[in-house]
Amino acid sequence: MAKVSKIMLTNVPTLKKEAKIEDAARLLAQSSSGCVVIVENKAPIGIVTELDFVRNIVSGKKNLKEPVGKIMTSPVTFMAPSMKLDEALKIIDTKKFRKYPVVENNELVGLATKKDVVNAISDNLRFHRNIQNVVLVLFVLFEFFVFVLYRYLYKYLPFGA
Amino acid sequence: MVKVKNIMTSGVVSIAPDSSIMEAAKLIASKSVSSLVVMEKSKPIAIISENDVIKGVLSRKAKVRDVMSKNFMIISPSAKFADIMKHLREKKIKRFPVVENDKLTGLITETDIIEATRDFTRFHQIVQEVILAVFGLATAFFLFYFSPFGASFFR
Repeated sequence: MAKVSKIMLTNVPTLKKEAKIEDAARLLAQSSSGCVVIVENKAPIGIVTELDFVRNIVSGKKNLKEPVGKIMTSPVTFMAPSMKLDEALKIIDTKKFRKYPVVENNELVGLATKKDVVNAISDNLRFHRNIQNVVLVLFVLFEFFVFVLYRYLYKYLPFGA
Repeated sequence: MVKVKNIMTSGVVSIAPDSSIMEAAKLIASKSVSSLVVMEKSKPIAIISENDVIKGVLSRKAKVRDVMSKNFMIISPSAKFADIMKHLREKKIKRFPVVENDKLTGLITETDIIEATRDFTRFHQIVQEVILAVFGLATAFFLFYFSPFGASFFR
C-alpha cells in the first residue's frame, strides 16, 4: 500500500502567526489548496481554511489587519510521510477534517487532503480487485480440472483414487 | 448503481445575483455550506463559493454578480455517478446543481463525491473479503471431498 508521502501536496502556502489576516486571504484566493498552514520555526501550529476566513468577516469583530493567529484552528492533526494510506484513512474517518499537514522531524513537508487519500485508496482497490478476479477465475478452472480428473479420468491415474 | 439522489445535499441555499457579498458570507457561515447557488427567475445561473467570497472581499467588490462563477453543470436526479466523475476529471467542473421538473432539488459538490467514493470503497472492501472467504471455503471443501481421505470420509 502506498504511503502518505506519495500523494501529499508539497507546495503548501504557509504564513507566520504574526502575519495579517489579509495576507492569508490573498494566499487562499491565489492557491487552490483551500487552506493556509500557520508555521512557527517550520513546525505547523495552526491552519486557516476558507471557512475560517468567511466566519471571521461575518462576525465583523476582527478586521483584516489583525494577526492571523486569532482566526486559525489550533492545534492541528498531523500525519507522517511514512504513514500508510489506510492508517491515514482511519485518522480521516475519526477526525472529520479535510486537510492534514504532513510533518517530519518537526518540519512541515506537505499537505495531505481527504480527497487525495480517498481517491488513491479507491484506485488502489480497483487495481487489486482486477488481480483478485483473475486469481479467482484461475482457481475455478483448477477446481474444474480436478473435478474432471477424479470423476472421469481416475482409471488412468498412477495412484488409485 | 449509485444514484445522484442519494449523494446530493438536498437543503440547497440560494441567493439572488444582486445581493451583497456580505449576505452571501453570512449564509455560508450560518448554514455551514461551502457554496451557494445563484438563482435568477427561479433558474440557477451561477455558483458562489467560499473562494469567490474571499476574492470579492479582497478586491472590494460589493455584489454577488461580480464574483460568481459559471463553472457548473445542471444535472437531473437520474444522472449516473460515472458521468459526474467524468465531468469532474476531464472538465474540472466541481459543482452540479440537481434540477428536477424545473425545480432546484439539490447540489452535488466535490465533498459529496468524496464521501460517496469513501463509502464505495468500504462497501467494496467488505464484498471482496466475503467473496474471497466463500471461494476459499469452497475450494478447501472441494479438494477435501475429492481427495482419497475425503472419499473414505463421505462414502
